[in-house]
Amino acid sequence: MNIASCPASTKEILLARGSSAEWLRQRTLATPDANRTSPADQKHVGVPSLDITRHYASFASQTKAYDELYGWVPSGRVSHDAVLGTDGRILLRSSGLSLKRKLCMWKRLAATTWLDDFPSSNATFKMKRVVSLLCFNYAASVYAAGGEGSRPRGVGPEFAKFYKDAVTFSCITNLSVNIPVGRVNDDYCDCPDGSDEPGTSACAHLSPLSPHTPVDQSHTGHNISLALPGFYCKNKGHTPTYVPFTSVNDGICDYELCCDGSEEWDHVGGVKCEDICQQIGKEFRKLDEARQKSLGDAGRKRKELVAEAGRLRKEVEDRLMTLGTEIEGSELKVKQLEGELAEVERREKGKVVRSAVQKVGKMGALVGLAKQRTQELRETLERVRQERDSSRSRLEELESVLSTFKEEYNPNFNDEGVKRAVRAWEDYAARDKGPEPDAAHDRDLNAITQSDKENGIDWDEYEGEEDSDTDVCKSYSLYAFENYLPASLRGWVDQKLRDLRVTLIDSGILADTGSSSGESKAVADAQQRLNSARNDLDNSRKSLTEHKEGLDKDFGPDDIFRALKGQCISTDSGEYTYEFCFMDKTTQKPKKGGGHTNMGNFVRIERIMVDEDLPPNGKGLGTGERIAMKHENGQHCWNGPNRATTVILGCAEEGEIWKIMEEEKCVYRMEVGTPAVCEALGQAVPKKADGRDEL
Amino acid sequence: MRGNTICRSLSVKHENFKTCAQSGFCKRNRDYADHASSLSSSWDSPYKLDSSSIKFSNGVLSGTLLKTIDTTTAETVRLPLIITFLESGTARITIDEERRQTGEIELRHDSKARKERYNEAEKWAIVGGMQLSSGAAVSRDAEAGSTKVVYGPGSTFEAVIFHAPFGVEFERGGETQIKFNEKGYMNVEHWRPKIEKPIEEKKEGEDATSEEVAKEIGEDESTWWEESFGGNTDSKPRGPESVGIDVTFPGYEHVYGIAEHTGPLSLKQTRGGEGNFNEPYRLYNSDVFEYELDSPMTLYGSIPFMQAHKKDSTVGIFWLNAAETWIDIVKAKVSANPLSLGIGGHTDTQTHWFSESGLIDVFVFLGPTPKDVVRSYSELTGYTQLPQQFAIGYHQCRWNYVTDEDVRDVDRKFDKHLIPYDVIWLDIEYTEGKKYFTWDPLTFPDPLGMQKQLDAHDRKLVAIIDPHIKNEGGYSVVDELKSKDLAVHNKDDTIYEGWCWPGSSYWIDCFSPSARKWWAGLFQYAKFPSSAPNLFIWNDMNEPSVFNGPETTMPKDNLHHGHWEHRDVHNINGMTLINATYEALLSRNKAEEKSLRRPFVLTRSFYSGSQRLGAMWTGDNQASWDHLAASVGMILSMGISGFPFAGADVGGFFGNPSKELLTRWYQAGAFYPFFRGHAHIDTRRREPYLAGAPYTEIITQALRLRYSLLPAWYTAFYQASTSGTPIVQPNYYVHPGDEKGLAVDDQLYLGNTGLLAKPVTSEGAESVDIYLADAETYYDYFDFTTYQGPGTKTIPAPLEKIPILMQGGHIVPRRERPRRSSGLMKFDPFTLVVVLGNSGDAEGELYLDDGESFEYEAGAYIHRKFAYSGPTSTLSSEDLSIEGKKTKQYLQTMMDVRVEKIIIIGAPESWKIKSEVGVSEEGTNKSTPVKKAALSWHAASGGKAAWAVVRNPAVAIGKGWKVDFAS
Repeated sequence: MNIASCPASTKEILLARGSSAEWLRQRTLATPDANRTSPADQKHVGVPSLDITRHYASFASQTKAYDELYGWVPSGRVSHDAVLGTDGRILLRSSGLSLKRKLCMWKRLAATTWLDDFPSSNATFKMKRVVSLLCFNYAASVYAAGGEGSRPRGVGPEFAKFYKDAVTFSCITNLSVNIPVGRVNDDYCDCPDGSDEPGTSACAHLSPLSPHTPVDQSHTGHNISLALPGFYCKNKGHTPTYVPFTSVNDGICDYELCCDGSEEWDHVGGVKCEDICQQIGKEFRKLDEARQKSLGDAGRKRKELVAEAGRLRKEVEDRLMTLGTEIEGSELKVKQLEGELAEVERREKGKVVRSAVQKVGKMGALVGLAKQRTQELRETLERVRQERDSSRSRLEELESVLSTFKEEYNPNFNDEGVKRAVRAWEDYAARDKGPEPDAAHDRDLNAITQSDKENGIDWDEYEGEEDSDTDVCKSYSLYAFENYLPASLRGWVDQKLRDLRVTLIDSGILADTGSSSGESKAVADAQQRLNSARNDLDNSRKSLTEHKEGLDKDFGPDDIFRALKGQCISTDSGEYTYEFCFMDKTTQKPKKGGGHTNMGNFVRIERIMVDEDLPPNGKGLGTGERIAMKHENGQHCWNGPNRATTVILGCAEEGEIWKIMEEEKCVYRMEVGTPAVCEALGQAVPKKADGRDEL
Repeated sequence: MRGNTICRSLSVKHENFKTCAQSGFCKRNRDYADHASSLSSSWDSPYKLDSSSIKFSNGVLSGTLLKTIDTTTAETVRLPLIITFLESGTARITIDEERRQTGEIELRHDSKARKERYNEAEKWAIVGGMQLSSGAAVSRDAEAGSTKVVYGPGSTFEAVIFHAPFGVEFERGGETQIKFNEKGYMNVEHWRPKIEKPIEEKKEGEDATSEEVAKEIGEDESTWWEESFGGNTDSKPRGPESVGIDVTFPGYEHVYGIAEHTGPLSLKQTRGGEGNFNEPYRLYNSDVFEYELDSPMTLYGSIPFMQAHKKDSTVGIFWLNAAETWIDIVKAKVSANPLSLGIGGHTDTQTHWFSESGLIDVFVFLGPTPKDVVRSYSELTGYTQLPQQFAIGYHQCRWNYVTDEDVRDVDRKFDKHLIPYDVIWLDIEYTEGKKYFTWDPLTFPDPLGMQKQLDAHDRKLVAIIDPHIKNEGGYSVVDELKSKDLAVHNKDDTIYEGWCWPGSSYWIDCFSPSARKWWAGLFQYAKFPSSAPNLFIWNDMNEPSVFNGPETTMPKDNLHHGHWEHRDVHNINGMTLINATYEALLSRNKAEEKSLRRPFVLTRSFYSGSQRLGAMWTGDNQASWDHLAASVGMILSMGISGFPFAGADVGGFFGNPSKELLTRWYQAGAFYPFFRGHAHIDTRRREPYLAGAPYTEIITQALRLRYSLLPAWYTAFYQASTSGTPIVQPNYYVHPGDEKGLAVDDQLYLGNTGLLAKPVTSEGAESVDIYLADAETYYDYFDFTTYQGPGTKTIPAPLEKIPILMQGGHIVPRRERPRRSSGLMKFDPFTLVVVLGNSGDAEGELYLDDGESFEYEAGAYIHRKFAYSGPTSTLSSEDLSIEGKKTKQYLQTMMDVRVEKIIIIGAPESWKIKSEVGVSEEGTNKSTPVKKAALSWHAASGGKAAWAVVRNPAVAIGKGWKVDFAS
């Protein structure tokens, strides 16, 4: 296995182990009470203990789950406003929190307390576990604003108004269905929307997740959905929440959500869930304070990162400005040098330089080239033949290896890769192999590769023949007369002739023989200067493009990852160390040594929806839209694809890899904490993840 | 019938497994049969019962068979025969070899192997029903040269034993049902010394006589003394020793059973011809990689029990032999006798059974119903275990959940998505280097914390423990295995080493009592680190699978405890392991000894009797529609073979199922007795919550349907555990008189609830055809649409719908509140669904106990019969339990568990004006006025039946009560 979970902190593991050992001792040593009233009791024997490595769902993710799973879409009568309430908002404002703060209000907390610490550890106290509580601030506000009243069991304050009639109850979303108030919470489901049983599990099956018959649909004929989000736990001393109806009176104290234990009011199987909200609430507030502080720090760090990113961006922009000026200058320079070169060339064209090369006749040159070319082709053909023969024998060897492999492999090792290889081999073997090696073909090749003489070609016959009719010779005759002129005049005539020649060449009347036969130093120098200037210009332009691209590239919101580019964080997990380098790549390094494995190179930033529980320390993704970095085309996987990693970022004070999972073969998911994604308060704000968050 | 085309790219490696022609004794016996058949009536079977040796007393007939081995010298081999008549009406024929019994043989290669023919199969397979018949008697009216024994219920059964040639015919009600050696294929390869014959002599023809004889009867000596396959040579220290006999079922056209194979429930012919197999059915437990469908090839387990069925009559035989076994099946059409007017032609099913070694040891069941035959078989080999409640919930497995955090995460995600499940599983990767009884310290640093999290919602962990023990220094388990000498030995009687998952390994020999005791010790909490009470065990690879062994298993000349050769015990081997594990899980420390909980063990390999110890699954299937389709028949076959706690990997082990296939597989899996999703290590994750809309929702509905019907399932398990009744039943079992439906194997009945499910096993289906055998009214489970039988009905089956019908005349108990696991439903109220049939009556059963302990054996259970009477319009609950010393205490704990709802489907029109019913409960004072409960009636419409609901009658589930619809 090349992936392992990211363990919780050492302290947590130690604690958890301690508690587990204790639990096991209790489970295994406890002698069942012979007179116990319920078999369920047996399991509850033992000191309940806290498993703080457990992760706890946030209230928000729970309620979201209800929305989706129960298909609970608040109607006009039950709007989000009704859920939140005006008072709630006022309260939130009065608490001095910013709107953003309200928006991303998951509060995560684990109560890290042994049950023994509770005052209520009497003999009949047989809770299975004490866990932690997650809550949602606005719910607290609602609670505070709602007032107790005399609501039926399990009804949240925002729904209280539906339960006021003392005689008749009308189902919330099916007003035509009226039942006597006595049937509310009588543990029998009367309403097609379940609203008559806010305090029991009697209507828990009214969900698109359950199979249904006309008995459930008799009143509506519509899709089944619940009108209520769950059983309302008041959680006095802590924050109120809704518990799924499926968890009501099932014999389990769901302290993660319901610290007051009120959802087990029927004590089925003898279970008693004490109210531990005081304790939990206290712990919550303590942890929450720490977390808020941490988030504040994280926010500050993010600000620093934004500033740094801004600085880096400014740098690039400045450089772009400089480059622009540089390019302008370079362009001018190039233009100028081009002019210079043209002039030098013009001047030099008049000079006739006699070629140092001994000319041979056209035919002779052609024969020479043909001979050389033929020789090259022959050599190449021979080399290709050798390579072909060697490849052919290697192919045969490989095919025989694979045939043996197919015959001899042990299918019981259940190795998908081996199976795939065998199947691919079978497909390959079944395909048309193309023409067989052809002896005649080979004989042809032999003949072709024989020496030219043996093929009846005697190059010597054609070599060395002069070709007398050339332009070069003609031009010689043109100049012949100058030899008869005085030296001074000769110079003038020479100059004029040169100019004339240049004019003739420029006008295309005379062929330019000079350029092909070599340049003068002046031209070469001018050319070099021009080239150098052009290079400078190209480089500047390239640099400009790069910087522009760099500027346009997606570095995430506020350009923030500009500040982290190339920075790496790593963690140990199982036998590997995993490393994530921002905007670069992910890597797996065996602790025992050996080569690093590239798990993907950065390709782009995306936004993806996550729905994860939050551990009590807040080191987790939570629910909503998160920034993710896609890494692709890592090292190829035997039995699989090229490795790829999705790095999903959550808000944390420090850069930290939380969790690594291999979701599919060689497709990894890393959960990483970084202050870069902390917006204002904490997590990246879910955009449309949870309707109520918008409020 | 399912399709038989499978993807070329995924198929079994035939070359790794023997064909009949490659298995020496198979070829010899087939040749022998061919020879006998070719001679037809002139064939003279060389087996004769020495009439003077026949004795009969106390239901046991004994005698000596004489096998003539040399017609010129009249030399014979003495074969002791015992025919036992049991009080249950079952008969047993046992044939041994005297010289082997007395040990007067010599073994080659200085072998330490036992000289007797293996006679301990019954020690493992048989647990009851062996009481001898007191009424069986020899009849005087037997014809000359035969002996007749009258036995069975009301002395309606007869066994006619023919002396020369030897043969036995079983009759019921004066009609012959089963004939042994009618075809003369009986063959007991007696022990003989190997005569090294110089080749020259042969050429000179000195041995002509014996060679000719050999040739004449088709004997081929080439495989007598050694046999090589796949690079391994079997030394065969005892030479040829196979046994075989033909068994004819006259007038029977269908035979079922001899699990485990992939072909249709109604077995095919095996001697070629259109649509038939060319190979006999093989039983030799093997780890068959990527097994193929519609094949007589062997698989992981063997149940040599066959039923023959014709309209209104079922008989069966159980071939108690643990060695490699093959069965040929031929269905001979007998044309109408022109002289007997009015009697048409019929089909005789001729079967031919042969095993490589051991005894001829056959049990004969004369029915007359499928239920009788399965019950008689189960009485012998044991009823299926009554599992813990959690074991019939949903199991989530994968090779592999890679870390303890991974397990916790999956557990949380099920809760988050409100999907019920009971058990999560760990395949081999949790161990440290494939060393069982260890945890990988890097990936599973906190196994106890993980098990504790599961326990928080009453969930369990099942971890794999295989029989191969890694051969690695410093591993205490292997050190003890070696030092205590508890492993299987090779032919030289030293420890046998082979290869499996861990590489070089040794195999625990669970035939050894001391090995089993040691094995049990390994599971003690103190010994198996970080194991918790909610940990249960999966025994895989127990065929045994040996990667480098012949046919992926052990060499046949390996030696087990008692010096039995592996060849003798091979098919039982897997059962010995789960037997040991079952014993180990009974109590894992002192405290548990006082209050035992029912163990749970899953096995891949099995034999007759394994049903007592746990569940089985059909091994490594594939994520394809044809494998989904095949699973239904395979599970039905396990059901009628006495091992009903069966399932197939939901989703398919190899490959990635499409979301539609996965969804349909969950819908089918909801009707597997053992319901587990599993996947190969190279597949993509496919936990139900990953499928997304609408698949996750539909899969969750299937899971919740399973959970809501758990009371019915648990009741079906209870019935299986007391009478052998299959938990899911094929059409012929439920309707034995329906000639048209005898081969139907793609739909199933859940216990005797009248629930008839037809899993959708084809892509894109919008409807299915469902076969109704009788003239009863059937109702769609979800919308109450009525279908009038008999005949084939087309019912809608869009993706979100499982085609299920309710047969009229039944009452089905349900628990409708969705919970996180089955344990959390313990105190939930019940809903009773009364499905009125043509008669206007209905009845059903409910069995209930604590779901985990053995206290039900002391009366701690509720067993009710619910009956609705049309004429009196009353529904009543009657007690079927027998009071024990724990009854009262249990009833006390269940006192508050009530019936919350009664749904009556097909409710009479006359209830239209009714608004309440009278409810009376036992134990209330007679003068107390009868309680009233509200009744609402809903008219039939659009082909959907009328129905009514009784609102909260609030009667205790454990009490007697009556609901009066007439008052």
